[in-house]
Amino acid sequence: MATDIQELLEDSVLVQCRVNGAHVEEEIHPATSLLDFLREQLRLTGTHMGCMTGHCGACTVMIDGQITKSCITLAASVQRKKITTVEGLRNEDDSLHPVQQAFCEESGFQCGYCSPGMLLSTLELLRENPNPSDAEIRKALSGNLCRCTGYQSIVRAVRVASKLYSVDKDSVS
Amino acid sequence: MSLRLQYARPRDLDQTIGLLDGLSAGAMVIAGGQELMPHLNYGRISPSVFVDIGNLKELQGISATDEGISIGALTVHRDLQTNALINESLPLLAYAAAQIGGGRQVHNRGTIGGNIVAVHPLYDIIPALLVLEAQIEIVSAAGSRVSNLGDLLTDTSHQLGTHALLTRIVVPHPPQPHGWAYEKLKISDGCYASANAAAMVTLRPDGKLGAVRLTIGAVTEQTIDLTPALSDLVAEDPDADLNDTIAEVCKASIPEPLSDQQGHGEYRRAMASVVARRAVAAAVESARG
Ligand SMILES: Cc1cc2nc3c(=O)[nH]c(=O)nc-3n(C[C@H](O)[C@H](O)[C@H](O)COP(=O)(O)OP(=O)(O)OC[C@H]3O[C@@H](n4cnc5c(N)ncnc54)[C@H](O)[C@@H]3O)c2cc1C
Repeated sequence: MATDIQELLEDSVLVQCRVNGAHVEEEIHPATSLLDFLREQLRLTGTHMGCMTGHCGACTVMIDGQITKSCITLAASVQRKKITTVEGLRNEDDSLHPVQQAFCEESGFQCGYCSPGMLLSTLELLRENPNPSDAEIRKALSGNLCRCTGYQSIVRAVRVASKLYSVDKDSVS
Repeated sequence: MSLRLQYARPRDLDQTIGLLDGLSAGAMVIAGGQELMPHLNYGRISPSVFVDIGNLKELQGISATDEGISIGALTVHRDLQTNALINESLPLLAYAAAQIGGGRQVHNRGTIGGNIVAVHPLYDIIPALLVLEAQIEIVSAAGSRVSNLGDLLTDTSHQLGTHALLTRIVVPHPPQPHGWAYEKLKISDGCYASANAAAMVTLRPDGKLGAVRLTIGAVTEQTIDLTPALSDLVAEDPDADLNDTIAEVCKASIPEPLSDQQGHGEYRRAMASVVARRAVAAAVESARG
C-alpha cells in the first residue's frame, strides 16, 4: 500500500512527556532543540546554553535517567520520555540534593555555569557506580567542561557526593 | 532555523521506506541527532523534513546469527560498550566505541548507524568495523541488499542516497582465537583522534603470524585499509622487527595527510606509523592471551 506522505508530515509537533515528574504537553516547531524547549517554552532556565555543538555539556539533562546534551537533542524525539533537569534535583522540603550539597561543601564550582551539567553527570555516575575511583570520576565527567575550577574541586565534590548519596534514598524523578 | 522544516515519525520500517521514497532530496533521516543537531544549530543544514527513525524496532537489538553478530543501526555507543555479546565476540568494537569523545552524553545517544553514515575521517567506528570486515544491510524501496562496508566507502561519502536506510551492521564471527588492538592518539581524553589504528591478528600453531588486518583512521579523508599491503607479514615471526615494514607501508599509503586542529599533516603522517606499530604489537600480545 502506498504511503500517504502528507498524512505523516507535521508542521508542528505535539510533545507529551514528563519533566521533573510533571506531565507536560506542548506544541513545538519541529526544529526545536530540547534545550530551547526547556528554557524558552517551559522556562526551566537551570539548564544552560553553551556551545550548541555538544562539546561543553552545560546543557546536560537526563532522558529516562541517562544524561544527554539537550542542545543536540531534538525536542520532538522525547515523546513519552522522562526528562530530569537540575530543577528536579531539589528535595521536596527544598533542601539540597546530596550531590548539590557535596558540590557546595567542596566548592565544586566557581561561576556555576557548568554546574547543572556536572550535577546530572555525577548523579548518573553514582547511580551506576556508588564508589567511583578518581579515574572513573574523570571519565564520567569528560563530557562536561569547566573553565574555572581546574577540575580538582569537582573531583573532590564527586568523592564527597559518593559518601552522601544513596541510590535507595534517591527521590529524583 | 528553517521555518519550512516538517517532521515525521513513521511507525515502522515499511512506512519509513515509503515515506523516504516519496520525499524530495531535502528530507533527512534523524536518529540520535548528535551529528545533525550541531549542524542545524549553526545553520549549516536546512532540511525540508526530519524523518525521525529513533523508535524503529527493526533497527534495534544485537543478536548472533549464522552470518555473524547482527547489530541494529540504532544501537548507541554505550550499548556497544556494555552489551555482553559484543564484549565477548567483538571486543575491538566495544573498545573503539569507548574511545569516542564527547562524554557519556554522546555515548548514550549517538548511534552506530549515524556514526557510519556521517563518514567522518576522525571518527572511531569505521576503522574498527573495516578491520572486522563488517557488512551493511541497506533497505530502500528497491528492496534490501547487503554490501561490504569497505565497498560502500569508496569515496568520502557512503553512497546510500537520501532514500535508503542503513538498517543493520553484520560483523562476521571473527576467527578464534584472535588478537586485537585499537590505538587512538588524541590531545586530551574527550578529543577526536590525531591518528588511530585498529588491528586484528591471528597466530599460526607454530607461533608465526597468520592474518594481519590493519586500518588507519584520522590521518587522511578516508580510513585506509592496509591489510592487502601487509600481506608480506604473513608467516613472519611476530617477534622480528616489523616496524620498518609497517612504517614503509604507512608512508606509501598517505600521500596527502589531513591538517587540522588535531595536528599538522607531517605530524599526522608520522603518527600514523606510530599508532600502526603499536596496534600490531598490542594485537600480537593479545593473540598470545
Ligand atoms: C561532542 C562530540 C564529540 C564526538 N566525538 C566523537 C569521536 O571522538 N569519535 C567518533 O567516532 N564520533 C564522535 N562523535 C560523533 C558521534 O559519534 C556521532 O555524531 C553519532 O554516532 C551519530 O549518530 P546519531 O544517531 O546521533 O546521528 P544523527 O545525527 O541522527 O545522523 C547522522 C547522519 O546519519 C544519517 N543517518 C542516521 N542513521 C541512519 C540510518 N540508520 N540510515 C541512514 N542514514 C542514517 C543522518 O541522516 C545523518 O546524515 C562526537 C559527537 C559529538 C557531539
